[in-house]
Amino acid sequence: MKRLLRHAALAGALCALPLAAPTEAAQEREPVEVAKLGPQIGERVPDFALTDQNGRVRTRDSILGPNGAILLFHRSADW
Amino acid sequence: MELQSRLEELRGRGLRVAAISYDSQEVLADFGRRRGVTFPLLADDDSAVITDFGILNTVAIEAQGPNGDHPDVVADVAKYVSVFGAGSNIVGTPFPGTFMLDGEGRVTARFFEEFYRERNTTANVMLRLGEGLSPIEAIEGETAHLKFTAYASDPAITVGTRFSVAVEIEPNPGMHLYAPGADELGYRVLGLSLSPLPHTRFEPVAYPASEIYHFEPLDERVPVYQAPFTLLQEAVVSGAPGVEDALAEIDAVTLSGTLDYQACDDRLCYDPVSVPLSFTFEVDLLDRQRANR
Repeated sequence: MKRLLRHAALAGALCALPLAAPTEAAQEREPVEVAKLGPQIGERVPDFALTDQNGRVRTRDSILGPNGAILLFHRSADW
Repeated sequence: MELQSRLEELRGRGLRVAAISYDSQEVLADFGRRRGVTFPLLADDDSAVITDFGILNTVAIEAQGPNGDHPDVVADVAKYVSVFGAGSNIVGTPFPGTFMLDGEGRVTARFFEEFYRERNTTANVMLRLGEGLSPIEAIEGETAHLKFTAYASDPAITVGTRFSVAVEIEPNPGMHLYAPGADELGYRVLGLSLSPLPHTRFEPVAYPASEIYHFEPLDERVPVYQAPFTLLQEAVVSGAPGVEDALAEIDAVTLSGTLDYQACDDRLCYDPVSVPLSFTFEVDLLDRQRANR
C-alpha cells in the first residue's frame, strides 16, 4: 500500500508536468502480496467443475462436508 | 502423505479435503495410485479455476516475458517461482496455499506462504485454528504448580515444513502463571527456550489471551493464566537451496528445550522452574518421483 501511495503521489506530480517521461512510470510493477490475492475470510469461493483423478466431476458444493472443507492449491503432483 | 493419514479424523469433524493443481487427470491418477491418495485431486489443466480464484502465479509469467531480467522480478522469482531460476513449467501454477471453507464454501481461514517452498502441514493448520488433531506422541508431566502435555504437530519434517510444538498447560487450583505484559511489573513471563535446530527458524511463541489478576496486597493488576491454555511455538524448516542436500544426510532431528515459568498463588511466589522438553522428528525427503507419461 505504501508503494501504491507513492505511485499516486508520483502520478500527481506527473499530472503537473504532462510531458515528463511517462514510460518510466509504466515500467513500475506492484509488489506481489500473496495475502491479498484470492478470496478473503468471509467470502464465498468461486464455483467450479473439475475432474478428479478417477474421472469424476467435482464442484465447489460437492467437495464440502457438513462443516466445510480444506481446499488446497498446490503447484504440481508431477515435479 | 500427511494429509491422507488425517482424512478419517477430519471426516469425523465434518470436514472434507480436496486439492487443485494444473496437472492433467492422467498425471493425478498416476500420483493418486502411487501415493494412495483417496481425496479428490482436481485437474485444472488450463488453470481456469486457479485464474478465477485470483491466485495464478503471475511472477512465473512475468519471468518469461520482457521484464524477466528486472531485478525486482528476479527477486520475486526466487521467492515465488523457483530458487533454481524460472522455468516455463511453472507458468499456470497457483501461488500455493490452503483455504479453510465452511459448509457453504465461505473462507474461514487461509494460509498462503510468502516463500513458495514453505508449507503448512494440515496438522499445523488445525492447531493454529485451535482444532488440534490428535497428537501422534505426547509428553505428559506435572510439577508442584501445573500439569502439562507437550506434543509436536507432525512426526516428520522436510524442506520448507511449517510445523509447531504445542504445550497444553493446566495450572493447579489457586496457581497463576505470568503472561506477556507481566514482565513490565517485574514478573517472570512463562516461555519456551528451545535450542537451535539445523536449517530451522522459530517464529515468536503464540500466547493465548490472558486474564488480569488483582494482587491486593500490592494493588497490582497483572496479566496471568489461571485456566488451562496452550502455548504454540511455530517453526519453519528452511527452503533455501542446499538444505535438501544437508537434510538428506539426516534421518531424524531432536528439538530440545525447556518450559520456563514462575508460579504464584495468592500468598506466595515460588522459585522459577524450567521443565525439560524434547521432541524428535523424522526427516523426510521431498517426493521427486515423476509420473509415468
